Amino acid sequence: MLEVTGLTAWYGQAQALHGVDVRVNAGEVVSLAGRNGAGKTTLVRCLIGLHQQAGGTVRLHGRDITGLPAHRRARAGMGWVQDDRGIYASLTVEENLLLPPTVSDRAWALEQVYQAFPVLAERRKAPGTTLSGGEQQMLAIARVLRTGARLLLMDEPSEGLAPVIVARIGAIIRDVKATGAGVLLIEQNVKFAATVADRHYLLSQGRIVETLDNDEFRRREGDLLKHLGI
Amino acid sequence: MSAVLQYAVQGLAAGSFYALAALGLAVIFGVLGVVNFAHGAFYMLGAVATAVLLDTLDLPLWWSLLVVPVLMFGFGVVVERLLVQWLLRLDPLYNLLLTFGLTLVLVELVKQRYGVSGLPYRLPGGLRGRVDLAGVVLPRYQLFVLLFSVAVCVLVWLVMTRTRIGMIVRAATEKPELARALGINVGRWVTPVFGFGVALAGLAGVLAAPFRAITAEMGNNFAIILFAVVVIGGLGSIVGAVVAGFLVGLVEAFGQAYAPTFAQILIFVLMALVILIRPAGLFGRQEATA
Amino acid sequence: MESKRKWAGASAITVTLLLSACGGGGPASSGGDFSGDKLVLAVLNDQSGIYKDASGPNSVKAVEMAVADYRTKYGDQAVVKKIEVTSTDHQNKPDIANTKASELYERGGADVILDVPTSSAALAVATQAKNHKKLFLDVSAATTALTGAQCNKYTFQWAYNTHLLATGTGATVTRNGGKKWTIIFPDYEFGQNMTKSFTTAVTKAGGTVQETIPTPFPNENFATFLTKAGSSNPDVIGTMQAGGDLINLVKQFNESGLKEKGVELAVGLMLINDIHSLGVEQFAGTLFTDPWYWNMDAEARAWADRFLAETGARPSFEHAGNYSAALQYLDAVQAAGTDDADAVVAKLEGKKVNDVFLRNGEIRAQDHSVVHDANLARVKKPADVKEDWDYEEIVAKIPAAEGFPPAEASGCSMKP
Repeated sequence: MLEVTGLTAWYGQAQALHGVDVRVNAGEVVSLAGRNGAGKTTLVRCLIGLHQQAGGTVRLHGRDITGLPAHRRARAGMGWVQDDRGIYASLTVEENLLLPPTVSDRAWALEQVYQAFPVLAERRKAPGTTLSGGEQQMLAIARVLRTGARLLLMDEPSEGLAPVIVARIGAIIRDVKATGAGVLLIEQNVKFAATVADRHYLLSQGRIVETLDNDEFRRREGDLLKHLGI
Repeated sequence: MSAVLQYAVQGLAAGSFYALAALGLAVIFGVLGVVNFAHGAFYMLGAVATAVLLDTLDLPLWWSLLVVPVLMFGFGVVVERLLVQWLLRLDPLYNLLLTFGLTLVLVELVKQRYGVSGLPYRLPGGLRGRVDLAGVVLPRYQLFVLLFSVAVCVLVWLVMTRTRIGMIVRAATEKPELARALGINVGRWVTPVFGFGVALAGLAGVLAAPFRAITAEMGNNFAIILFAVVVIGGLGSIVGAVVAGFLVGLVEAFGQAYAPTFAQILIFVLMALVILIRPAGLFGRQEATA
Repeated sequence: MESKRKWAGASAITVTLLLSACGGGGPASSGGDFSGDKLVLAVLNDQSGIYKDASGPNSVKAVEMAVADYRTKYGDQAVVKKIEVTSTDHQNKPDIANTKASELYERGGADVILDVPTSSAALAVATQAKNHKKLFLDVSAATTALTGAQCNKYTFQWAYNTHLLATGTGATVTRNGGKKWTIIFPDYEFGQNMTKSFTTAVTKAGGTVQETIPTPFPNENFATFLTKAGSSNPDVIGTMQAGGDLINLVKQFNESGLKEKGVELAVGLMLINDIHSLGVEQFAGTLFTDPWYWNMDAEARAWADRFLAETGARPSFEHAGNYSAALQYLDAVQAAGTDDADAVVAKLEGKKVNDVFLRNGEIRAQDHSVVHDANLARVKKPADVKEDWDYEEIVAKIPAAEGFPPAEASGCSMKP
């Protein structure tokens, strides 16, 4: 699904990524953790095409998308759920949903979205940012699902949300996985990551330093928390 | 009372010019992030084109209202493709300087070609005379300008709120990077949006032709007031630009009536107050910082 | 070592100063009676800005016509064969005018500076003329200070001043029945002075100025100013606006309905170029003072025909004024047999003149105001226009004695 090999990138004068390899298979949820400054943001922005990479290749769904501009990556099936949710205040809830073009035959119909997220149906005519934080997160995810994206790139979806909402987000992620889409989850919340992800990457100083399966990840949770400085 | 009403209507009519042109400025700023300093010059070109078309082709005002914005759209497209686009990735200051320089060039070119005293333009017969609206007597043409501008603003508002293009423009204005990451080819809209903004400035120029001096310098002072309008309304806010345009017209009219010398200064006092109380402008959104 | 070099530098400067002093038109100059063997007439005016059409490059043409006429008139008898006409842009800025005037007198070899619109710029040039003891014949600036408080021996005001405009338009219109006035003026020095002069002239003629409305400058929107001006039901609205502001005001006045209510519009300062560019229809019926109109008589018209052939346009009074100033200057040089400024001034002072521009003209010795008959004009209706530039109907003659203030009242003292 997503194959990143040898990705390097610079952030100003400093090299932010030193040959990162990441792989996400169809129907797989993979988490990526790392302290602040480890290079997570640069990695995400490289993948969605908002930051220019210096070397390496990015393949999505068997297609080399290295060097493609952001909007063409989105059309190739890359779905970004931004860390601040990226809900448009000047667009209604429904317009937020309809803004991105559909990219595959797996796209959801609007009715399907509203069935899955009844709260969005209720507030469809309201400006996007009048929703609560949890509702906005659901809108952000629903927006990407509606396009039929093959890979969801979710940046800190649990951040700042109440536990009950986080649990709901977890359930959504598992549903997404069941549809056969891949999910790359950038997540500092190790406990949450352990409940949804199949594999885990640990990014440190621009390098993938560990790749763990979920069992090992759970076993070393304390260790990891210490590394992440939480 | 009728005097107050009279001033109010006159103010709204004067505000029409500001509203139309500021709308174009706001759309350009929103989508391109360009503070288009040349907007006053585009307004001037609209008026000059109107006068020249009447002189050479005997094109009446009605046709100019259609033809000139189309020409100005084309001109805007050329300017964007030839000049503005190369600086879009750099600091916004570069395009501010570019458009400032462009203003000087356009003003000089018009001076060279058409002189400094200005061009003649006669008001079409059907728009001459006055109308009496419940005791408020005002030139028919002023009323026409007011109604026409309101109609254009409403039309633009409908396009902005009811169409996919409008949705994309709003999204690209609010969060341009996200719009791209969501699969919108924002770059594709940059050129037409710039052209559209220029066309609106040109349209304001067409409306000004029968009522104001058509000279190379006519846009200079206008542009300064226009920036006050955009700051008052909120940079990039479409509704803000329109509301502030009419508001500034009102301030100007009542200033002229009750504090003549300060008629223009009052506009900038209003701007200063708005900046102090609501730095992002009346309708500007405070930028959410991550 | 160091001090030696300084000394050398200082002496070089001294020598230069001495040399330039000698070159300044004194009898010791190598060219006999003419400094640098030639006469230089320098036109200093607005070559690119708002007064470009009213005077600008075509004033240079007018001065060249005067030079040609001088040559034709005197032929071999001409005391000076080599005459140069130069042109410099002062952009209507007093500081630029000041520097340029100084350069023209010092390095440009200018014997006389001509034209110089914009009062503040003209006053700066007058000071330079006084300091350099060289002639300055101003044509296009209106301030009475040039021949009043700031007058000097080398400065002449050739065509008009604010007093002429005010008495011409203000007094004549009032006497013709426009008793109640409202004045709209741009709130800067020219506008304020004009308003003062108009108020005096109107009051003297038996009228009243009910209200004066200051406006910002520049300004595009006069709608509410006009509503306000009309609310006191005046007979006449006087406007002191110029250039683009004037056109804005006139266009909006025409639509305001005041005309139909019988309110007349009188303009403080207007040039034929304003009418030409805006179209006669917009200005139709407007009253204003024109110091000279190209079609006012056969003599003026004959010269205007030549000017038209030369430039493609009919002359404004400023163009004709420049022609006249240059012509009279050259005549004075001929009479004096030298370009020495003091000798030329002596020939000019007190001279009674009639030429293409000056009618019943006198170059007053007391204040160097060149007084002459002027016209009160009304802009024609489009139907009455018979040819291009045929825009004005002369309503009344303004005799020189009435249009210009008496020399005693000028406040001018020529003491160096």
